Amino acid sequence: MVRWAAPLITLFSAIIGGALYGVQLVVLILAAAALLLVIWLLWSSVQALTGESELTFEEAFSLGARSAEEEQKRAVLRALKDLEYERSVGKISDDDYHEYAARYRAEAKRLIQGLEENLAEGRKQVEAELTRRLSKKLSTAKDGFSPETTSNGEAEPESRESAPASAPSEPKQTVDCPSCQAKNELDARFCKACGKSMAAAEESQS
Amino acid sequence: MWQSLPELGTGIVYAILIAAAYTFAVALAAGRGRPRLLQAARLGAYSTSALVLFAVLLLSYAFVSHDFRIRYVAHYSDRRMSTAYLLTSLWGGQDGSLLWWSLLLSGYTAACVAWLKGRYRELQPYVIATLMVIIGFFAVLMLFAANPFETSIAGARPDGEGLNPLLQNYWMIIHPPCLYMGFVGCSVPFAFCVAALVTRRLDNEWVIAVRKWMLFAFLFLSIGNVLGMMWAYEELGWGGYWAWDPVENAACLPWFTASAYVHSTMIQERRPMLRVWNVFLICLTFFLTIFGTFLTRAGIITSVHSFAQSSIGTYFVYFMGLILGTSLGLMVWRLPELKSKGQIEAAASREAMFVANNWALLGGMTFILVSTMYPKISELWGESATVGPPHFNRWMGPIGLVIFALMGMAPLFGWRKTSGESIKKAFRAPLIAMAATVVLHLAIGGWLGYPFFVPRDAFYPGAVGVLLQKVGSCLPGITIALCGFNVAVIVQEFVRGVRARRAASSKRGEEESAFVALYRLIEKNRRRYGGYIVHLGIVSMFVGFTGTAWNIDRETAMVPGQSTRIGEYDLKYEGSRRCPGNPKCSPEEQADIEKTMIFADIQVTRAGKPLGYVHPAKFIYHASPDGPTTEVAMKRSLHEDLYTVVGQIDPQSKRATFQFHVNPLVSWIWIGLLILITGTVTSLFPELSLGEVGAWSYVRGAAGVAAGTAFALWMAMAPGMAYTHERPEASLRRPASSTIRSAKQLPTAGLGAAGFVGLALGSVVSFGRRRRVDAKSQRD
Repeated sequence: MVRWAAPLITLFSAIIGGALYGVQLVVLILAAAALLLVIWLLWSSVQALTGESELTFEEAFSLGARSAEEEQKRAVLRALKDLEYERSVGKISDDDYHEYAARYRAEAKRLIQGLEENLAEGRKQVEAELTRRLSKKLSTAKDGFSPETTSNGEAEPESRESAPASAPSEPKQTVDCPSCQAKNELDARFCKACGKSMAAAEESQS
Repeated sequence: MWQSLPELGTGIVYAILIAAAYTFAVALAAGRGRPRLLQAARLGAYSTSALVLFAVLLLSYAFVSHDFRIRYVAHYSDRRMSTAYLLTSLWGGQDGSLLWWSLLLSGYTAACVAWLKGRYRELQPYVIATLMVIIGFFAVLMLFAANPFETSIAGARPDGEGLNPLLQNYWMIIHPPCLYMGFVGCSVPFAFCVAALVTRRLDNEWVIAVRKWMLFAFLFLSIGNVLGMMWAYEELGWGGYWAWDPVENAACLPWFTASAYVHSTMIQERRPMLRVWNVFLICLTFFLTIFGTFLTRAGIITSVHSFAQSSIGTYFVYFMGLILGTSLGLMVWRLPELKSKGQIEAAASREAMFVANNWALLGGMTFILVSTMYPKISELWGESATVGPPHFNRWMGPIGLVIFALMGMAPLFGWRKTSGESIKKAFRAPLIAMAATVVLHLAIGGWLGYPFFVPRDAFYPGAVGVLLQKVGSCLPGITIALCGFNVAVIVQEFVRGVRARRAASSKRGEEESAFVALYRLIEKNRRRYGGYIVHLGIVSMFVGFTGTAWNIDRETAMVPGQSTRIGEYDLKYEGSRRCPGNPKCSPEEQADIEKTMIFADIQVTRAGKPLGYVHPAKFIYHASPDGPTTEVAMKRSLHEDLYTVVGQIDPQSKRATFQFHVNPLVSWIWIGLLILITGTVTSLFPELSLGEVGAWSYVRGAAGVAAGTAFALWMAMAPGMAYTHERPEASLRRPASSTIRSAKQLPTAGLGAAGFVGLALGSVVSFGRRRRVDAKSQRD
């Protein structure tokens, strides 16, 4: 709220002051606002330095930021896109296209697999942590104590996009695909392995 | 110490140095991977930037309140200057321009830190640290060599000296900021480069991060250089736009290396190649920006641009040594990992073309650099050579054409390897176009006034001289031929792309019209097609440059009533008048309090048709009566400019000396800049994805469009506002039809109109987006 109010107040008072008293007051008001900004930023910086401020969600989220492999994967996918364009306008022959496309695809596959492995590691940790906390909450609730609000300022290392925990403690929350028998979420409409419609399975469930 | 503004200002410059040092230390510590420290470093970078902003606002306050205790304010302003020029004086002199450079650098730093957010977390600390070192250097410069807040020993003067009249024009308001934006912009890629070398993350991560920053810096380098050309052309009055002045040369050196980089980076993004070269190019570009500003300020080469002499050169030499040492040291340290893992597989490939293009651009840059420094270099062996425009013009012609030819050929090749068939197909249409251009030029060029061959004198003795002379004589024809080739290549690329898109879309069953295909083609391949548009702009500029081959120059003296002929124009000198004073002067001219103006009125006729008047003048500013300025009068058109300059006018007989020039095709240079801006903006344009919109986005959209339109209108009206100098009392007695009054009303009316237009457009756009999003979500 302050972030929007302060610049707007500065702007309005600068305009009004300028209209009433001239350019000098405008510059003074802007200079005063700049000084306040300096003080606020320096103070926040020192606070962050001494660890007094909490880690915001964005910071925690961005701790699991893109690695070099992710950037490489994007570069390879871009190169593939270029290849297809050049083939479509006739700059490279079909043979060359197939040869290079195969090479790039292999590289992209390798990178994606590498990323998946990193993720798998992180997912396991997240699931373990979640299981632990859920069981702690359930046990304290059973004992009649008020559940503690765990203020968690630390971010999970290597946590990526909010991977929905498939809640391994409740296996009945999955449904089998009628075509390939892969396990899917209850509300899935298409199988995530073979892509076929889950309608038959849904009907049999309900 | 903080009792007065000058002391506060100096204190703030100290604070800038301390804040930069603090942020540097925190950033380096954050490089060890502690996220808290990185956040502290980011905030520290923001606070350093805010400190610089505060210092600039303090100095602005000193200017608008006429605080003549400060030596800089007293030297570059006086009580009569308008607010616009008072603020322009911020960058009018040495000290203030250093503070202005720091402001732009801190603006870039803040923007870079904000843009980084949580990305490139391993690189961020070192990017911030490098930028802080550069800000710290400029703070050191200001503290110890050129303090903008320094007070005069003699105390406050009653009035200041005022800004040099040559600098009181629209160009001074816009050219230094744009050029500085270009120079300073090269610091961010350099910071990323250093960070990548230090952290050993030498893959394409940093190259992709740097792409848009380098392109943005390139955009402003182009704008700044061409604005400088416009200024020289319109104000200096020698008839041309580029004099190969050392400072002009220094400004275009980073442009060459930046152009080389934006091409060679495309190779690195596709293949693990040219990594050492790209690192070298970025470090060199940054080094050249510092070197360029060193040349301007240290006064080691005489130039019309030079600031006053000072000891500031020594600081720059040390800093340049630091840059060289750090860059070379880091490169050598990481050389094993940087070395190429691939090679150019075929000469007939785009990689090979880009490498050739890099060599040509670097070759041109090296030639300009060595020639500019030659007077200093020749002192080493006792000579004292001077290098002038003829030398540059003779050599840069062929070098420029090599670059131009490569620019045309490179898009015709594919990456890695192009088959023979493909090359033949690709070259066919452009070569035919080139041949047609040559035939057409030979046939009707002379008749139109633009002959293919323009005989030149041999500038050098010996074989080299004769060769250059022969090449030079064909230059106009060859350039126009290559222009035809390039335009054909660009058109062919667009046509091929549109055809491929339409073929692909009809295969899918959705027919695309040519216009839709063209729009989507550019939308999906912004970088490529934006680049082609930039090439088109360069072609236009080359057309403009070629025009100098067909210049007609005349010097003559006339008495009132006499006529003279130049090219197709008949010029009749009708008389001269002195304003204020002469009844024939306009109200604005009568109201001028700053200067006396002496106009020569010349009637222009072409082939019997009257084209109006031109009024070349001499302005004598009261603040500097010994240095009258020359005011050029021009009649412009797409195919040529009539450029008139008056020299001496005898007060009794009214006999006047004149210089007349007919400069063909100059307008194409300015048009080329507009095309270049369009192309670069297309390349820079971010990927926008449709998303769900709420009510707030209507307001945001409308506000954005309104703000943008208002700003654009205000910028367009800036020349009109900048040219209004008048007596305060005169405004009370002004007749209703006065142009000044209507010019003053324009801003308010314009802003109001812009507001309405913006609101309307914004609402339409937001509403349109919502309809599309709703329809899309209904389809799913």
